[in-house]
Amino acid sequence: MEQLMIIISTLPIDLDFVLESALESLLHRLRGLCDNMEPETFTDHELVYLLKGQQGNPFILRARHSLSHPTAPWHLRYLGQPEVGDKSRHALVRNCVDVSASHSLPDFLNEMGFRMDHEFVTSGHIFRKGAMKVLVCNVSRVLVPGNTENTERMSLSYLVELSVLAPAGQDTVSEDMRSFAEQLKPLIQLEKIDPSKQRH
Amino acid sequence: MYLKPKDKTGERKVSMGVTCVCQIPVTEGKSVQQTVDLLHKKLEQLGAVKQGSFCVDCETYQSTGNAAGQPSKLLYVMHNSEVPLSCMALFEGGPCLTADTNFDVLMVKLKSHFQNAKGHKVECRGSRYRYCDFLIKVGTVIMSSSARGISVEVEYCPCVVPGDCWNLVREFMQSFLGNNVPELPTVFAAKPEGLFAPADCVDTMTQYLELFNKLRKLQITGSNVR
Repeated sequence: MEQLMIIISTLPIDLDFVLESALESLLHRLRGLCDNMEPETFTDHELVYLLKGQQGNPFILRARHSLSHPTAPWHLRYLGQPEVGDKSRHALVRNCVDVSASHSLPDFLNEMGFRMDHEFVTSGHIFRKGAMKVLVCNVSRVLVPGNTENTERMSLSYLVELSVLAPAGQDTVSEDMRSFAEQLKPLIQLEKIDPSKQRH
Repeated sequence: MYLKPKDKTGERKVSMGVTCVCQIPVTEGKSVQQTVDLLHKKLEQLGAVKQGSFCVDCETYQSTGNAAGQPSKLLYVMHNSEVPLSCMALFEGGPCLTADTNFDVLMVKLKSHFQNAKGHKVECRGSRYRYCDFLIKVGTVIMSSSARGISVEVEYCPCVVPGDCWNLVREFMQSFLGNNVPELPTVFAAKPEGLFAPADCVDTMTQYLELFNKLRKLQITGSNVR
């Protein structure tokens, strides 16, 4: 089933030397605003694969697996180009296909002709509010390909991402997302990322 | 459905037992349907009970991005009604992937890189029989809307290790297939750990794929099947 992924993210904000306390305030506010559940942390390893065709842009697939739950299935995601729609819409909308897959995924993608472009480890906290998912995480570079023990934080900043998966055709939830984002100010300012500024 | 006991991670997995898939020749002087009916009769005489129907299908995709002169890689995407939420993707002799059925949606997105050879779609449909701990499926293999052959799948549900039960499975198959009983499937012997590696759904689908490809080649050389 195809879905739409609707995203608002922060541009990474520098928390610098007020790092821990600023993060704590944000987490505290999110615990209050979001669904009541046990705080959940995650550590995932994501690999981004490219398939170069005879023409056009390469096809991109993202393969992700959990480092904290190594027996869980891999997750493969296709994200389409951002939909050109109502410019006043507050969030980025992209076509999304999610596939759960077995552990042979990396070898299989290679056999299909995909080549890994880059990989990273991301870890942080996950919150939910209804259908909305809020991630507060940091991103680390993998220094030696395939070795997830040896990583280096890309910056001291945290990435905050608010997203919803909605059935194809239904992108009206972005107003709810915008009002949720308002409640996180002034701790963080969530904005629609300009796609032309992104590499992918 | 047989459940394996909880493993080390505390998860209970549902798995297929050791499964053998073989091709049965059409009986001399009879049609495909008549041969299938004869097999059903033999199973019912043994005491097997019909339990619904099954379907295994296979679609072939060809990669478009190969350098001139290089043969195009064939990617097979298969489904089995026994595991309806799953999809198996295989390269013959290469790696295979088990995924959920959204993989089919992804293949549509990949259509400019992998072309669906629609004329190559194969379906194997038939009745499902249960006899004690065995599950038997007699199928008619259909390519381009015509029946090309007969498959018989026998699963011994309580066991996942071929080395532990192959003799029993073979003896059971002989009781209704007579001289058409097959040899040990190569997919089990070919594993690095040999016959004592646990069998899984991918092994079953690999056997179906071998059967489908064999029938396709027979048709091209114009032999036996009506």
